[in-house]
Amino acid sequence: MSSLAKTLDKPAEAGWASIRNDLIAYAFMAPYLFLFIVFLLLPAFVGVYASFTKWGIIGDPKWVGFRNYDKLINSELFLESLQNTLYFVILAAIPLIVLGFLLALLVNQKLRGRNIARAIVFLPHVVSVAAVGIVFQWILERSSGLLNYYLGLLGVNPPINWLGEPESAMPAIAITTIWWTVNGNMIIYLAGLQDIPEELYESARIDGASSWQLTRHITIPMLLPINAFVIPLTVIACWRVFGQVFVMTRGGPQGSTFTVAQFIYETAFVNFNMGVASAAGVILMLIPLSFTVVQLRAMKVI
Amino acid sequence: MSQSWRKDSLYRDGSLNWGRLTLYAILIFVAIVWGTPFIWMFVTSIKPDNEVFRYPPTWWPNEPTLLFYTRLFESFPMMAWFRNSLIVAVITTTLTLVTNVLAGYPLARMRFRGRTIVLLIILSTFLLPGEILLVPLFLGMVKFKLANTFFSIAVPAAANAFGLFLMTQFFRTIPVELEEAGRLDGCSRLGLLWRIFIPLSGPAIATVAIFTFVRSWNDFFWPLVISNTDATRTVPVGLAIFVGAGLSIRFGVLMASAAAATIPAVIFFLMLQRYFVRGISTTGLRG
Repeated sequence: MSSLAKTLDKPAEAGWASIRNDLIAYAFMAPYLFLFIVFLLLPAFVGVYASFTKWGIIGDPKWVGFRNYDKLINSELFLESLQNTLYFVILAAIPLIVLGFLLALLVNQKLRGRNIARAIVFLPHVVSVAAVGIVFQWILERSSGLLNYYLGLLGVNPPINWLGEPESAMPAIAITTIWWTVNGNMIIYLAGLQDIPEELYESARIDGASSWQLTRHITIPMLLPINAFVIPLTVIACWRVFGQVFVMTRGGPQGSTFTVAQFIYETAFVNFNMGVASAAGVILMLIPLSFTVVQLRAMKVI
Repeated sequence: MSQSWRKDSLYRDGSLNWGRLTLYAILIFVAIVWGTPFIWMFVTSIKPDNEVFRYPPTWWPNEPTLLFYTRLFESFPMMAWFRNSLIVAVITTTLTLVTNVLAGYPLARMRFRGRTIVLLIILSTFLLPGEILLVPLFLGMVKFKLANTFFSIAVPAAANAFGLFLMTQFFRTIPVELEEAGRLDGCSRLGLLWRIFIPLSGPAIATVAIFTFVRSWNDFFWPLVISNTDATRTVPVGLAIFVGAGLSIRFGVLMASAAAATIPAVIFFLMLQRYFVRGISTTGLRG
C-alpha cells in the first residue's frame, strides 16, 4: 500500500523479529480494536442474530427463524414506514447531491464574499438535530411561520399547513434536512474542484472554450469519481432519517412521516420487541447496501 | 483579456459583466436562505411574549428581553443537560484521540500480518448504518447495569472509525527521513510516535478532536435510547423530549432553547472553521 512502510519495515527476515514486529503493531492498535470489537463489530453480529430470535428486555433470546421477517413483511405499519422512507430518500437525496454540487461550483467561483457564503452554508453542520427541528417547526408554522409569509408575498395562498397535512409533511422534513446537511456534500465536491489542475482550464481557455464548456467538459467529468462515495453516503444517511422526524412530527400526521428508524425506535424501546426491531435494522442495513453495490457496479468501481 | 481585469470584478473591459452579476445575486440569495433560520431563531428568542406571533414578522423586537431564557432555565434543567453533554463529549473525544493516534501509527507506517484485512474491516463499517447496533448495545448496557451512565453514552461513540481513518491518512504524509533519523538515534516506536508524529500532526489531531466533539455534542439517537434521567441526559435529548414535546404554542421558549444549544456551537465553529472543512474533505464524512 505505501512504499514508505516497505522501506521502513522490510518483510520479516527471521521468525522472531517478524513476530515481535507484528506484536508491536497489534499492541498499538489494541485499545482501538478493543473498542471497535466490543462496541461495533460484536453488536453488529449480535444484531443480525437477534433478528432471528424472540427477545424481550429481560430473559434469554429464543430462536424463531425467519418469523420476525415474516411479521415485518405482513405488518402494514412497517411497509408504510418503508414506503415513507423511500419517499424521503427520493425527496432529499437527489437535491442533497445536485444542490451540494451546484453550491460547490458557486462558492468555488472567484467572487468576493464567497468565504462568508461558504461559512454560512456550513454553519448548520454544528447544530444538533433537536435545535434544527425546533427552529424549523417555527419557520414552517402554518399561520405565523416565516416560510408561509414569504410564500404568501409570492402569491401562494392559502398558507400551507406544512407539518399538519400528510401531503406536505414529508417534503417539509426534506426541506429541513437539505438546509441542515447539504453542506457536507458541498465541502466534498469543493475539495474535488480544488484538486482539478488549473492547467486544464488554462489550456482550454487558450483554445477559446466558454466557461460553460469548461464546466461541462472539464469540471463535471473530473468530479464523477467523487460521486462514487457522495451518492452512497447521502443515500445511506437519508434511509436513516430519524431525529428530524422525531422532533418535528413524531411520525405524523396520520403516519405520513413514520420512517423505518422511527419504527425501530418504537418497536425496540417503547414496546421492547427486540427481535422484530433487529430484523427491521437488518432490512434498513441491506436496502441502502444493495443500492450501493448496484451503483458502484454501474459506475464500474467494483 | 486586458491586464487590468480582475477575476472578481463586476466589470469586464469597461462594461457590466452580466454573468458575474447573476452569480453574485445567487451567492447573496444562498447566504440569505442559509442564514435566515439562525437570525430568526435568535430574534424570536429575545422578543417579548406579545411580539412572537406578530404578522408580518418583525426582524427586531421593540423591547428585546431575555424573558424566554429565564423561563427556559427555570422550567428545565438546562444547566444539568449542558454539563452532561460536556462530560460525554470530553470522554468520547479523549478516548477517540488516544486510541486513534496509537492505532493510526502502525496502520500508516508498519508492515504486519493482517494489516490489509484490519483496514478493510474497519473501513467497511462506514457503510454500516448504526441502527443495527442499537438493540445489542442497549441490551448489553442493561445487562451490565450500565444504562444511564456517562460510560454508556460516551464510550460506544469512540468506536467510530472516522478519526482513525483521518489519522492514518495524515501519518502517511510525514516524511520518512524524520522517522529514520529517529530510529538511528535508537528511538523506540512509542518514542517515534511521541517525539516525531504527534508534534507534527497538530492540525490532524485538532480536526479529529473538533469533529468528534461536535458529533458527540449533537448525537441524538443513542443518547435518547440509553439515558432517561436528568443525571445523564444530554442537551439534544432534553430539548427533543421535554422542551419540544407538545408545546408548539410556546415558540419563544422553544427558540430560546434552540439558541442556547446552538450559540456555543456556532462560536466554536467560527473559531475553528478550517478544521471542519479539512475533516470533511479528507474523509468524505459528515460528523
